[in-house]
Amino acid sequence: MVATDLAVIGAGPAGLSAAVTAARAGAHVIVVDESPGPGGQYLRGGLRQSPSQYVSQSARRAQNLLEEMKFLHIDFRAETLAWALEGTGVALAGPSGSEWLEARTVVIAAGGREEVIPFPGWTLPGVMTLGGAQILAKTHGVVPGKRVLLAGSGPLLLATADELSRHGAQVLAVLEVTHPLAWLRHGMAAWGNWDRLREAWAYLVGLNKRGIPYRFGRTVSGVSGEEQVESATVVRLNKRGIPVPDSEERLAVDALCVGFGFVPNIELTQLAGCKHEYDSQKGGWVPEVDESMETSIRGLFAAGETAGIGGAVAAMLEGRVAGLAAVQRLGLVRSGIVNRTLADLRRSRQAAQRFGAMLSTLFQAGSRLDALTMDDTIVCRCEDVAAGQLRAAIRAGAHSLDALKNGTRAGQGPCQGRTCGPLIARLIARQTGSSLSTIKGFHVRPPLKPLPVGVLAQERHP
Amino acid sequence: MRERADAVVIGGGIVGAACAYYLTVAGFDVHLVERDTPASGTSRACDGLILLWDKSTGAELALGLSSAQLWTELSQSLDLDFGYTRCGTILVAEDAQGLHAGQATAERLRREGVRAEVLDGQALRSLEPNVASDLAGGVLFSEDANIDPRRATLALLEAAQKQGLSLHLGCEVQAIRRQAGDDGRLSAVITQQGEIATEILVCAAGVWSSQVAGYAGITLPLQPRKGHILVTARAPGFIRHALLEGSYTATVQSGSADLGVALVAEATSEGNLLLGSSRQFVGFDRSVELDVLRSIAARALRFLPALATTPVIRSYAGLRPWSPDHLPLVGPFPEVPGFYLATGHEGAGIGLAPITGKLVASWISGAELPDVARAIRPDRFRTS
Repeated sequence: MVATDLAVIGAGPAGLSAAVTAARAGAHVIVVDESPGPGGQYLRGGLRQSPSQYVSQSARRAQNLLEEMKFLHIDFRAETLAWALEGTGVALAGPSGSEWLEARTVVIAAGGREEVIPFPGWTLPGVMTLGGAQILAKTHGVVPGKRVLLAGSGPLLLATADELSRHGAQVLAVLEVTHPLAWLRHGMAAWGNWDRLREAWAYLVGLNKRGIPYRFGRTVSGVSGEEQVESATVVRLNKRGIPVPDSEERLAVDALCVGFGFVPNIELTQLAGCKHEYDSQKGGWVPEVDESMETSIRGLFAAGETAGIGGAVAAMLEGRVAGLAAVQRLGLVRSGIVNRTLADLRRSRQAAQRFGAMLSTLFQAGSRLDALTMDDTIVCRCEDVAAGQLRAAIRAGAHSLDALKNGTRAGQGPCQGRTCGPLIARLIARQTGSSLSTIKGFHVRPPLKPLPVGVLAQERHP
Repeated sequence: MRERADAVVIGGGIVGAACAYYLTVAGFDVHLVERDTPASGTSRACDGLILLWDKSTGAELALGLSSAQLWTELSQSLDLDFGYTRCGTILVAEDAQGLHAGQATAERLRREGVRAEVLDGQALRSLEPNVASDLAGGVLFSEDANIDPRRATLALLEAAQKQGLSLHLGCEVQAIRRQAGDDGRLSAVITQQGEIATEILVCAAGVWSSQVAGYAGITLPLQPRKGHILVTARAPGFIRHALLEGSYTATVQSGSADLGVALVAEATSEGNLLLGSSRQFVGFDRSVELDVLRSIAARALRFLPALATTPVIRSYAGLRPWSPDHLPLVGPFPEVPGFYLATGHEGAGIGLAPITGKLVASWISGAELPDVARAIRPDRFRTS
């Protein structure tokens, strides 16, 4: 067993920010992350190397946090999984086995994951998420194919297109689901977020220079191939985001990268037993937090994408709020000073949050693209459950994820419904005409991710 | 909702589904009321073994034998496949003393017509190459089977629906109405969706039956007994039979409040392993306890050391309806005419569901009852 003042789960912008803030105030901090190094998806592969590239202020700030973490001698546990929580105690499994971490406070900053939309052929090799393609490129210097098509919605499309083309892939086109009109309608919320707008502009200029078309109101309705992706069908979408009949065209591709925005990773706050609420502007189900990012469990904080999709700027601000609130809870600083700083931070968070909410509203394509999921399209990849089986079970009265799990095995595989959970919730909502806010996710129980029997057998907690 | 039914079954777990099935087969117009979804309580948080060797000679074994036979028939007659497999079980023994006890069990069951083959260490390892090399041996019960309890629940409900069952999901019972007058016969079940007029009610609400019975003024001697199970990633062929250790029966039959852990390893038809088992009295708390997971994992490694690297993908805990004499509570309550109970099976509810359903249907239709029906009448405790 190890004890600490603050345990931070997740070493992305929010987690780093919370850890550094608390360590500066004198707290003993342990940071755990499943990756080999800190930085999260945001800083994977370090800052961009090419001098022609625009490096945003937020990326620099996150990089500074990494350096400060080393300077403050924060205990970082790499390749370590937090697989269960009891109050503010955390069960860890890392390279040296299983260990119980008895923390006085915990910040959960487990990030988010990409939403996908099942379309015919999406399980073929050669189809991957934008994030998956970025990991390949940034960590291994590999691109997913020679002729690559990108489809989906949101800023990650731009960043991925930039990354892949710099690593030598031929990016045929970037297909953005939304229409420019929607951008005009919602775009005013971006006011004040100049750093982020400059970043987006720099990407657009880069694509333009390399002759990569950026096309609005289009997406991929299916891919085909023998052993792997050989061609993709591109479909035009009307202003409401619905596929236009007979607008298909086929493109020869050997890789397709897709991403339709993000959903918060809330499995840890669910395991901890926190209260959750549905907020479509935050990307779906999120833990309820107060002004200090504290969840319904005392001493347990959530920050970053876990607390609601908002991007790196909001994540770092939330991390600071949570870190400060944690040291205040620990009694390490005087409340007056903390309260004034917290008030300042909350004000700057508002612009960042507005931007996050705008992105969520603008790029919420998912529900409108359900028509792309055919009855024989696989939805649960682990257990090979097709949409038709799920739709039949929903017709027969299974209106919850757990009921569908019993009847179809969906969500029973190694990923425990992480990918298919939100997809099935949408199928239920569409078919029953109910709101997503009435459909609860799968039950979450330890271990959070697959854990060898031998490691589980070692676990000992007080 | 304002309905009328011959009989109302409360509880959409495996026992309620079996009662509804056999009642519709007997020609009754049946409504089943479930507060959540089918198999959302104990029936989705258990293993799927249909065992005989863990039953005591007498009523318990008689029930087990009839029910095993019914499961075989249902696997052929129900439309929905629920993974019925004659997996066979092996009672594994750590040492000579354990094997000696196993031999006694084998002899006792052979006298009842159950096939049982005693294995020495070498014979055990040739059947199950992955067991620890120091185990003394075991007893093979080749007729034991396993099923997927959730799909079996759905299969029974689907078949019952085809015969006219009305299923009310997300519908919790709020009250039971009785006729005025001396005998106080049942007149209606009040649910959150409305009222169902009926003179017959079958309470199959598992550990939550006490609450339902309370609406009719009946007190039950049931206790929730919690059991944990670990689910591994698919490991096809890792074990070829279900493996249980001899002390499993001792753990089950004791009324001790302390945590008891004994090996149960079962392969599902998809190849995932279910690892158990634990028994503890901790009230209605269904949360997974890490200490218990550790104990189960450690116990599994004692018998199957090569499991060390197999990933556990999930865990769950369920509440088994424990009865003081380890026999279920099935049948009428004379004090409340029309009220029938079908619960108290503890960890044997999956195996004993069909015979329970069949007996309940026989009680209600007035068909001839086997002797065993009297041994499990709920009023034997005289608590009402």
